[in-house]
Amino acid sequence: MERYRWRRLRNTIILTLSVGATMIGLGWLVLILGTLVYQGLSGLSLAVFTEMTPPPGADGGLLNPIIGSLMLTILAVAMGTPVGILAGTYMAEYGKYAKLTVVVRFINDILLSAPSIVIGLFVYEILVAPLGHFSGWAGAVALALIVIPVVLRTTEDMLSLVPKELRESATALGLPRAHVIRFVSYRAARAGIITGVLLAIARISGETAPLLFTALNNQFFSTNLNAPISSLPVVIFQFALSPYADWQRLAWIGALIITFAVLALSITARALSAGGKSS
Amino acid sequence: MNSIAGITNTTPSAVPTVVHRSTDMDHKLVAKVLVRNLNFYYGDNRALKSVNVPLYDRKVTAFIGPSGCGKSTLLRILNRIYSLYPHQRAEGEVLLDGSNILDPGEDLNLLRARIGMVFQKPTPFPMSIYENIAFGVRLFEKLGRAEIDERVQSALRRAAIWDEVKDKLQANGLSLSGGQQQRLCIARTVALRPEVILLDEPCSALDPISTAKIEELIDELKDDYTIAIVTHNMQQAARVSDYTAFMYLGELVEFDTTSKMFTSPGDRRTQDYITGRFG
Repeated sequence: MERYRWRRLRNTIILTLSVGATMIGLGWLVLILGTLVYQGLSGLSLAVFTEMTPPPGADGGLLNPIIGSLMLTILAVAMGTPVGILAGTYMAEYGKYAKLTVVVRFINDILLSAPSIVIGLFVYEILVAPLGHFSGWAGAVALALIVIPVVLRTTEDMLSLVPKELRESATALGLPRAHVIRFVSYRAARAGIITGVLLAIARISGETAPLLFTALNNQFFSTNLNAPISSLPVVIFQFALSPYADWQRLAWIGALIITFAVLALSITARALSAGGKSS
Repeated sequence: MNSIAGITNTTPSAVPTVVHRSTDMDHKLVAKVLVRNLNFYYGDNRALKSVNVPLYDRKVTAFIGPSGCGKSTLLRILNRIYSLYPHQRAEGEVLLDGSNILDPGEDLNLLRARIGMVFQKPTPFPMSIYENIAFGVRLFEKLGRAEIDERVQSALRRAAIWDEVKDKLQANGLSLSGGQQQRLCIARTVALRPEVILLDEPCSALDPISTAKIEELIDELKDDYTIAIVTHNMQQAARVSDYTAFMYLGELVEFDTTSKMFTSPGDRRTQDYITGRFG
């Protein structure tokens, strides 16, 4: 009985600690969201989405950085996703036992955890300095370099989770490997791969560092990818550091928009992966 | 495709180590598949030792033996599914209608269309019931919509599952019960009109009712197909097969008609296994 009571006591202690730790984690999240809503929601208006970033002291909105961010994100995903998916497919399907796969996986893990400012500097060196000007293209490439390792990793992981029996039975029907991958492996892993892409989007939509040396910023409305282009994270960075109250207010609004866009993406990703499992 | 090249009556020289007493049926027998002096290696580990066995045309051959004796390995050689994995290799001859399928030049996709395989775990593809079957057929034959419908229906009928799924052909294959899924997998294999069907413990994951249905199915299929079945269930081997092969520690100990094997086996080890003294 003595041992039993001690076990129960220990259980209670650990449970209390675990619940406490969870509360602390959740608490900060709630505080962050709460502050964002408190600071940003009051200024949220239609003008934010229809007007351009203002000079200090004037009225304005965030139209140019919103459009810029959308363009950069879409381009980055369009460039990074195919590379990530194809490489992940090679690693999980064709080169499962190849040395190359081990090497690529190792390098990809480094890329996955590389500080994003390093990626920004790298793209600056190859696309900005030689051409002599900042550009939207350079920004999109920098973001694509962040997309690739995320998508590659999830693609490889998700394809590796497809039971080998499924692959074997497709092969046993006489299907060539490309068909097995396209019609069986991809279908079975689809929800997971899409989740990976959504997570990559969530990841890059808040990245500031890679854009500072590449896309720079643009206080005017521009969709020219050969010129500097505005983006939400950079505008937030600049406006939040500024001494002007109305710029700071816009920074809060921008932060609110990004956070909720990312939140919506994450929830979609969650729903998709849950849906994929139950079907 | 159906021409029977060379191999007719099994003579002692064709099946050297097999002790096989002639019965009345034998003079009509043709070995559809003839395994000769087959060795198999997982890396350095020798899993099959000089195996010789025939699969007679339009007969059911059961492979029995304790776990790890090489029954499944043998089956996985017959349609070269092992070739998916490096470090697995087979030496010797497997003659399908007289030509060696272990030849390096063998077209594996065509071979697998001729020798179908159903696995232990039901593996419906993540697509509709209809597509599970139509998909493989379309790959090999250019058929019109109506012909494919016809083909799907007849395959489902053959696999004795038509009545259960005819109203929900567009439902996901994964929504079926385990026994239905396994019959769907058999239908999928039958739809390609193979010449040989390999069944690797097809009932081990199924309840007795589904098992009975699949056994009935095997009985019907043997009119048109040469069938090899691996099973742990001695009664099942006795019920469904015409010939039985007993394997032990990578060797083929004995091969004979099922009635002979189960009443008066020639080898002590066969008798011990069948009477449940080990395994």
